[in-house]
Amino acid sequence: MTDDGAVIELNRDEIVQRIEQGARRRLRMSASELVQAYRSGRLKDPGAVADLLALASLLAESDPLFAPA
Amino acid sequence: MRLPESDALLAEARTLTEAYKSGGQGAARAFRELTALLFRLTILAPEGGVRLFSGPRGHMDFVLGGWRGPDDPLPLTDGRFLRLTVRLCVTPPTEGSRLKVEASSYQYQVDREGIRWIFRYDYLRNPPDPYPSAHVQVCGSLVEDCLPHDTSLERVHFPTARVSLEAVIRLLADQFGTPCHREPELWRPVFAETERAFLEIAHRPLGGPER
Repeated sequence: MTDDGAVIELNRDEIVQRIEQGARRRLRMSASELVQAYRSGRLKDPGAVADLLALASLLAESDPLFAPA
Repeated sequence: MRLPESDALLAEARTLTEAYKSGGQGAARAFRELTALLFRLTILAPEGGVRLFSGPRGHMDFVLGGWRGPDDPLPLTDGRFLRLTVRLCVTPPTEGSRLKVEASSYQYQVDREGIRWIFRYDYLRNPPDPYPSAHVQVCGSLVEDCLPHDTSLERVHFPTARVSLEAVIRLLADQFGTPCHREPELWRPVFAETERAFLEIAHRPLGGPER
């Protein structure tokens, strides 16, 4: 593997799509439900989806995904 | 026994450590390069790699993860995987432009999907839940029947101090038998140096919520 030091910039759609796919596959919930559950402290095992939560941290704070349902 | 490349590797590790500790725009890249070096010397499969990702939040927030993303685990030399997720941010100039780790997660797993995981070390600077900021979880079962009925061992968050990436790689190499590319005589001094530097500045959380 080439040791590429470049920073890969992901756009909103890519990020949300990845969270959506991962959340539905692993927890049977939507991306929005995942981030809401996490932010309210209701997610039972956040570490299990640390990768998805990290992706969410790349979204702007004003992103609609963080808006309460 | 001192290997011919030892001095050069130590110098490279020191340069990268100084670069990430100096903060600023290049800090996250230096942190990535150092992480890649540690893996390259030890347990990363040849097809694996680590990369930095950013997004709409801006160019001061990053996630360090596998080659195709934080949700892409690193293939290891034992055929298993390490899901590496490190959230990094560079503080504003008024706060010194320092590189901070907001969260990290190291999950050793059998399959790429992570359904068959073995253990996971997590750290979260500001957790929204009552679990310890730094903890380890093990996917297994206890010999004794001592947990509440609705709790399995994998849901127990054992508090830990900050656990470095170096410690996790050592654990895999020394105790899980994950093969290393290079001799311990070469990488152990590098790991000692970089781990010491990390622990000197690492945030040390309490073992649980204050309130």
